[in-house]
Amino acid sequence: MGLVPASDLTPGMKLTRPLVNAGGVVMLSENTELTEALIKKIQRMGVEAVHVQGEAVPLPPAEEVLAELDRRFRNVEEAAHMGVIKKLLKEHIESLYECHGPDNPEK
Amino acid sequence: MDLITLKNRVEGVHNLATIPGVARRLLEIVGKPSVSLGEIADFVSHDPALTTKVLKMVNSPIYGFPGRISSVNQAVLLLGLGVVRGLLVGVTVFELMQQVMMGLREHSLGCAIVSRIIARKKALKDPEETFVFGLLHDIGKVVLLLQFPQEYSKAMELARQRDVTVYEVEGDFFSTTHATVGAWIAEQWSFPQSIIDVIGYHHKPQLSKVAPLETAVVHFSDILIRGRGFGFAGDSGVPALHPSAWKLLGLSEADIREILKEAEDLLEEAAEF
Repeated sequence: MGLVPASDLTPGMKLTRPLVNAGGVVMLSENTELTEALIKKIQRMGVEAVHVQGEAVPLPPAEEVLAELDRRFRNVEEAAHMGVIKKLLKEHIESLYECHGPDNPEK
Repeated sequence: MDLITLKNRVEGVHNLATIPGVARRLLEIVGKPSVSLGEIADFVSHDPALTTKVLKMVNSPIYGFPGRISSVNQAVLLLGLGVVRGLLVGVTVFELMQQVMMGLREHSLGCAIVSRIIARKKALKDPEETFVFGLLHDIGKVVLLLQFPQEYSKAMELARQRDVTVYEVEGDFFSTTHATVGAWIAEQWSFPQSIIDVIGYHHKPQLSKVAPLETAVVHFSDILIRGRGFGFAGDSGVPALHPSAWKLLGLSEADIREILKEAEDLLEEAAEF
């Protein structure tokens, strides 16, 4: 399940949440299967993104994300408690790959 | 730039041509010290887009308020006038955030989400208010970027060259920081002392006298959300945590794990705002 930008929708995708307009009116119900025409309609409504089944935008490679984490903490790793915080963030980011990995997309 | 010139320019930020008329009028209304519910409701009801934005936020899972809020009046009754004022400013400034710095909106919203989760975990008296504190903590950056776009870009560039956070070089350009500027503007808007304290001390939580717990929460959330790599706050590094905030909050490793996990799904929701 994930949020997919309206411009990246393809026919056959299924909504995992109802699509409501700015006034709160349900425009498309949950489980609606998208068609070419519905996608055009969604894009015309100015909706930025919708929730559909399956993995949304693939996560960037884990190595890249973890390297960025290292970069963000480069100046503070020795500061009090920052090592622990970084360790917990690293574990958290790694856990995102365990349950969203390409081998196991629906979990 | 000396402090007096700076303060005058900051307090005149409402007059900038780049601020949309609706935002300017809203800031005038919410900034009145004795603004009443009637005045706010009346103003907001003439702006359906603003009403929709506020109601969308309070009814969204990221805000985590149980139950449905269907009008601004009801929001004031349930959340309090202070919170609704903050939210109105928040959603108004949101669009300005997106204009002045790509990613600042996500950073602010992410910080608000994490702040609310920590506030609830620590059983603070008003997690919804803490959300608003997180949402507005970097308001000083918005003001500086609106009023001094060139100087602030130079500050960001200098921070990059020196490999420090932009907060650490702001003094070279403005003789103070975005935290102080944010506190000035919150004061000018007659916001409660608690939010002035949180905004003013979110980089120095040990100095907060009025709202030390809430300030520690926002300080910690700012660091966690930057650490997570969500949004952009003007620089590429995470600032160090002040040990006093760690001590005051007393979060265990298990707590922090749960906070990150709970925040993750909501961050995805945040992309809709």
